[in-house]
Amino acid sequence: MTGSKIRSGMTRLVPYAFILPPMIYLMVFMFWPLARQMYMSLTNTRIINPNRGRFIGLGNYERLFDDPAFYLSLKATLVYAVLAVVFGVSLGVISALAIDRPFKGRAVVRAILLFGWAVPNVAASLIWLWMYNDRSGVFNRITEFLGLGRFPWLTSTELALGSILAVTVWQVAPFVMLVVLAALQSVPHEVREAARIDGADGLSTFRAVTLPHIRPAIQLASLLVCVWSIRRFDIIYLLTGGGPVGTTSTLVVKIRQIAFEGHELGMASAYGAVGLVLALAIAALHYVVEQRRMKWMSR
Amino acid sequence: MFKTIYRRKFLVTAMLGVVLAASTTDISHAQSGGKVTLKIANSQWLDALRGKNLWAAVQKYQEVAPNVTLEQEAIPSAEFADKLTTEMGAGQGPDIAIMQEGLFYAMADAGFLVDIGKAAEGVTLNKTNDNGMIDGVRYGVAWQRAAYALIYNKPVIDAAGAKVPTTVEELITSSKAAAAKTPGVIGFTARHQINDFSGWFMDFQNWAYGYGVNWVDKDGRLTIDTPEAVAAVQAFKETYASGIIPIGDSMPTQRTRFKEKHVAFSIDNSGGTLNIASGGALPSSEIGAAAMPFKNPGAHQQIFLGVSAHSDHQEEAIKFLAWLVSKPGQQALRDASGPDALATDVPVTDAFAAANPWAPAFAKLGETSRSTLIPGYEVETAQIMRFVMQAVEKVILSNADPKTALAEAQLAVDKQF
Repeated sequence: MTGSKIRSGMTRLVPYAFILPPMIYLMVFMFWPLARQMYMSLTNTRIINPNRGRFIGLGNYERLFDDPAFYLSLKATLVYAVLAVVFGVSLGVISALAIDRPFKGRAVVRAILLFGWAVPNVAASLIWLWMYNDRSGVFNRITEFLGLGRFPWLTSTELALGSILAVTVWQVAPFVMLVVLAALQSVPHEVREAARIDGADGLSTFRAVTLPHIRPAIQLASLLVCVWSIRRFDIIYLLTGGGPVGTTSTLVVKIRQIAFEGHELGMASAYGAVGLVLALAIAALHYVVEQRRMKWMSR
Repeated sequence: MFKTIYRRKFLVTAMLGVVLAASTTDISHAQSGGKVTLKIANSQWLDALRGKNLWAAVQKYQEVAPNVTLEQEAIPSAEFADKLTTEMGAGQGPDIAIMQEGLFYAMADAGFLVDIGKAAEGVTLNKTNDNGMIDGVRYGVAWQRAAYALIYNKPVIDAAGAKVPTTVEELITSSKAAAAKTPGVIGFTARHQINDFSGWFMDFQNWAYGYGVNWVDKDGRLTIDTPEAVAAVQAFKETYASGIIPIGDSMPTQRTRFKEKHVAFSIDNSGGTLNIASGGALPSSEIGAAAMPFKNPGAHQQIFLGVSAHSDHQEEAIKFLAWLVSKPGQQALRDASGPDALATDVPVTDAFAAANPWAPAFAKLGETSRSTLIPGYEVETAQIMRFVMQAVEKVILSNADPKTALAEAQLAVDKQF
């Protein structure tokens, strides 16, 4: 009896034993650094003496919310993230739908579409940097050939963010495509066939049959693309460094500037805290929308 | 019985192993007491050709100190400040750092450098070492001082019949003439993008100083929106808008284009020019150098050596510095440093000057050049110049009025400092 009680007790502990290693990993590499960062945002820590910061309460946040540059960064971040989601997800969904049906050369087309995802961010950024080059870049060679003249892709306040978005979309759309492609496999073929027999055109079939099945995948992909865009640094830093005139100076780029140029680790942590709140807000919104959808479906 | 024998054998073997490990450690400690490895961090180790030559010069110390092994810590120039700051902030990093003046001040201010006064005893250091003394303590000795000049491709401008300019207007005219005469030639190269901020603000100091800017007044107050600064920004804007600069090209790309004979004029420092003169299609003898097209002297980039307070071999590091500023060390360094001014007055050799006719101009310009750091705000210079360069960016990209843009920068600077 005692033995069976012990065994029963140990059996109850088994799930916790399995989740313990990842929990320890998360505690050490995520939650502890996060907690330290939140505390650091309340100090005047400098990167040059990271252990000698003094507690200053909300001083960093007061400066932050009083600084017009913060609002510019926030705006750049939100615009960049929203447009990355809109264009990245749209292109990913369209690509997934296009290669869902079998056709000759589908494997090759799929490989080409996946290329952007496969190339490391830094390599991709440097390649695109050259493609955008004013004198030698392939884009301006094409526009000159077409009689449109040269464009300052990365040095124009109107074009720089769009140029960075192009690189971003090129990289994230393949990921969205893969996620949606997997979801498309769950769409019952018979239902699609029935809709076709009933005379529904492609768009109606997509709206009534396909979209409800792939909506959760699109939502998840949108969430991930949005959060990644808020965190994206390499593409923006390598292409424009946050310029021109701060139009691409997102929160992450600003964090680097404050931490490594201004040496203000405390202030940079405050910016990081704002970024974290933004990402959590988006995740919470996704959760609420998902919960409502589940409730609606279970009626 | 056999179990007992085996257990004893095992225990004896284990004990012997422990004793051996301990004595080996002792031996290695005794060896390391004699042998020292000094790690020297420098971005120049990665420079094509020059890096190899500089390292070879420095390694000559090992001939006089055979117990010392020198080791490189090569960090790309764009990341050098970030990496070193992070390393030293974490209590790590190299024994010796070779760093730009701005970073040197930040390190000294943070208490990461030791007093190296002993290294300079009995040596006549020149004025390039002046800023290595902070509050009466010597934290650094000069490694190199690279003055700026206007450099040009002689055959290209001769072919165009263009003259070496003495004003910005002449620079634009000569650059356009050179570009028109030889297809594919770029008139003028210069840094012009915020994603190259650290290099750009230092280069821009030439324009600022050239137009008589002082970023602080006699009371130590930061003065950003002076008439001189407005004139400097206006001149840069005219140059940018004239179409002679290859917009979007990074400085390494521009230097490569110069090496490949595709550039007429550039404003560059002596280190960059040595890079251009080495290993490219353009022979060094075809590079000319002259004073920049401004009324007043320009800037220089000053590099200092300092010994880390975290180093376990500070004494040895200071001895290395003492050798470096001695006659043999300086002579070794001279051969690899082109015309850069060194810690002591070691002239460029006649052979070098003959092979590199641009070198004497830099030496001359170095006599009157100014530091890129703002006096009294050495540690904060980068932050202050960020506001200035953002104003310059607004002027050249958004057609903002220079006076208005600099006035906004002044407000921002006054708020922060």
